[in-house]
Formats: sequence, structure tokens, C-alpha cells
Amino acid sequence: MSSLVELLTENFGALASGFWVTCRLVAGSFILAAIVGTLVAGLRIAPSKWLQRLGGIYVETFRNVPLLVLLVISYAGLRRSGVAIDTWTAGIGALGLYTAAYFAEVLRSGVFAVSRGQIEASLSLGFDYPQTLRRIVLPQALRTVISPVGSITIAMIKNSAIVGAALAVNDMLKEARILNSQTFETEAAFFWAVVGYLLLTVAATIAIRVLEQRYAIRR
Amino acid sequence: MGYLFDPDNWEWLTSGNNARFVFEGFLVNVQIALIAMVFSLIVGLVLALSRLSRNRPLTTAVGIWIDVWRNVPLLLLILYVYLAMPQSWKEIYEDAAPGFLTDVLRDGSVFAALIALVLYNSAVLAEIMRAGIQSLDRGQGEAAVALGLTYWQRMRIVILPQGLRRMLPATVSQLITLNKDTTLVSIIAIQEVMRHGRILTGQNFFGGVQAPILQVFLFIGLLFIVTNLGLSRLSRRLEIREQKRTGTTVKPVTGLEDQVATVRA
Repeated sequence: MSSLVELLTENFGALASGFWVTCRLVAGSFILAAIVGTLVAGLRIAPSKWLQRLGGIYVETFRNVPLLVLLVISYAGLRRSGVAIDTWTAGIGALGLYTAAYFAEVLRSGVFAVSRGQIEASLSLGFDYPQTLRRIVLPQALRTVISPVGSITIAMIKNSAIVGAALAVNDMLKEARILNSQTFETEAAFFWAVVGYLLLTVAATIAIRVLEQRYAIRR
Repeated sequence: MGYLFDPDNWEWLTSGNNARFVFEGFLVNVQIALIAMVFSLIVGLVLALSRLSRNRPLTTAVGIWIDVWRNVPLLLLILYVYLAMPQSWKEIYEDAAPGFLTDVLRDGSVFAALIALVLYNSAVLAEIMRAGIQSLDRGQGEAAVALGLTYWQRMRIVILPQGLRRMLPATVSQLITLNKDTTLVSIIAIQEVMRHGRILTGQNFFGGVQAPILQVFLFIGLLFIVTNLGLSRLSRRLEIREQKRTGTTVKPVTGLEDQVATVRA
């Protein structure tokens, strides 16, 4: 037990910087995933067959490919082919684009959860299609997707560990591995990494619960 | 774009037995995924049933167990189990592994990978199964009790057949996630598809041509896409067939798999 606390106090700087790197990775990827995910969801519900298909291809591609493969392609693959991409862009890009596919699926099904009658009513009241989406559909859709967006975020926090393993980014897990190789205190080093990840996932869970209580529509 | 489709950069695929080398690696991933899935289903069912039991301390303990393993990054679990597992365990596995497995799969590190994958996936599957069982009408269980069925009869004849049908789609999507997650075991030096890709793209591979990273890993990604699309097609098929056979629409459980894809309203 004492070695646990000792490891934390002696290496607090390293562990804290790993935690902070993971936070930044997660935040950056979340923003990218939200933007791209919304765009792709927009494609998937667009009134044109071809746009829908394009969105479908995006989702099926990024959802079925392992994140590790995406990371290797986006960093080593692009570098070797002459694109000077840095680790952060590659890491956030891969994690964000990967998560965006899930984001898009959730948003799309949230839109479909809004009954057709509401859309028809809004159209017959004289709103045009973009207005209907913005004023009638999206406000309701966003409220139904709070909980699934939460699980995606938690999955993304866990997936951020893969970024650190594939690229030269010293995140939570990487710092724990460095500590392990320096001190051979495997249990203690990984224990604090787990605590770091649990802090983030639990925080996300609580945030989702608060948002749900305030906004969610119970059906 | 020119670089991407330049035939010279795809030459590696047809030269030597590179393509076969990649396929062999991919097969290791699929095998690990299947073995891990079978054990995760068994352990997951035990966990789900214990969590639903009437024994208060047991349900709390199992609940904590499930929540901890579900919320830890899988990569961290794989690394930790690999580093912390005593050498003697790995040797026991190496001796006990059945002979029909390939040499790669009989390595001790595969045991660590399997334990980590089962710890994680059984926790996720337990939650899916619990939701499937709990979504059944209370009357089903009560009627079974009234008919005088014992606990095991109730489970086997009434509860599980209905509950498991509802969790099929979620289970398949978890299998897809698991299939993708097997690439993570490359971190503990198991010779699977990522390692094989790295070898192909490494310097001086057999002193011959060095395969371009981008193209090799695009090809590997394509393998995963094809397999996983096939899996989700299969699950749709089963769902539709089941609907036609029973004439009822099964209400599936969603939202508990590792990465949720849809909200059903």
C-alpha cells in the first residue's frame, strides 16, 4: 500500500502530465467528432439518394476499421507518402474521424425518432426543409441522443489510450508504462493509470446524468 | 492521389507471398476474436445471472466487478495482464493449449491477451444479457414460478430463449468491436496482422522491395471492413428470418454494447 502512495507522490508530475495529455486528446477528438459527425448525419438524412449513400459509405468505413489501423495510416502512412503530418494532428484526426462515424449514426437515429407527423406538420405550416430541421427536428433529436452520445464519449476516452500506444504522444497509459519500466512497480503504475481513466469516465457519466435529468425526453 | 493509386506502390501485393502473409496474420486475429467471444459469452452469462440473483452482497460485488472492467481501456488491461501474469501461468498455457491451434496461438502471451479480452468483453456482454433478461415482461418469470418450474428450468425454458434473442444484434456488434480490438494485442508482440504489416513495411524486408505503409494498412483495413460488414449482414439476416419464423418483431436491447450505433425509439 505504501508503495502505491509513494509512486504517486514521487512521480506526480509525470502522471499529471499524462492525464492532461489524455484530456486534451479527448477534448480535441470530441470537437472534431461532433462537427464531422453532424455533417455526416446531415448527409445521411439529406433528401438526395447520392448524398445519403456518401454518408453511408463514411459510416461503414470508419466504423468497421480498427482504430489502430487508422492511426498507422494517418501518421506513418501519410508521412511515408510525403505528407508532413504531426503526431497531434494524426492522433486527434484519427480518433475524431473514427468516433464521428458513431456520432453520425446516433444523431441520425435521433432524427428518425422524431415522428414524421411533426415534420409534415411543420412543412405544411410553411417552414422550408432546413428550417424544419433546425427548429423542429434537431432540438428534439439532440435531447434523445444525450445518453448514447455519453456512451460514445466514454468509449472515446478509453480509445484515447490507443493513440498513445501508436504514436509518440505521452498520454496516461504511456506515462504508466514509462514508470513501470523505470520502477518495475507494475501494479502501482497501472493502478494510477486506471484511476486516471476512471476519473474521466466517471466525470463523463455524471455529466451525462445531469444533462439527461435536465433535458432528456422520456418516452 | 497519384501516389495512392500508382501501380508501383501496389506491386507488393502480387509479388512473393506478401498477400498470403497478410492473410495469415489476419487469420490469427479472427481466431483470437472467436476464442475470446466464446469464453466471454460463457463468463458473461454467469456474471449476468449472478447480478440478477437475490443475494444482495453477490449482486453488489458483481456489479462493481462489471463496472470496473467495462470502464478501463482495453489496451491498458492487455498490457497489465501481460506484464503482471506470472511466467508459470504462461508455461501452463503453453503446455495445455490443444495441438490443433497454430504455433502463434499456443504462445504464452496469447493467454494474457485472451484473459484481458475475456475480462473486458464478458463485462460488456453481461450488461447486454442483463438488459435482455430484464426487458422481458415480469409476468413471464412469475408464470413460470406459478407453474412450479425450478430456477434452472425457468431460465432454460422460459427466460433465456426470449432474452437471448433480444440481445443477438447487440452481441454481434460487440463481436465486431472485439474483432477490431484484436489488433491491440500486437502491443504484446503477438504475431498478428499489424505485426505482419509492420514486417512488410519495415526496412530491408528480405533485402527486397519495401512495401509502402499507406497501401499495406489500407489493405489491412479493407480486410476488416469486409469481414465486419459480412458479420452485420449476417445478423440482419438472422433477425429477419427470426421475424418471419415467429411472426413477431423482437424488440432488441441496444445501447449497452461498447460503442452504440443507434437509438431505437
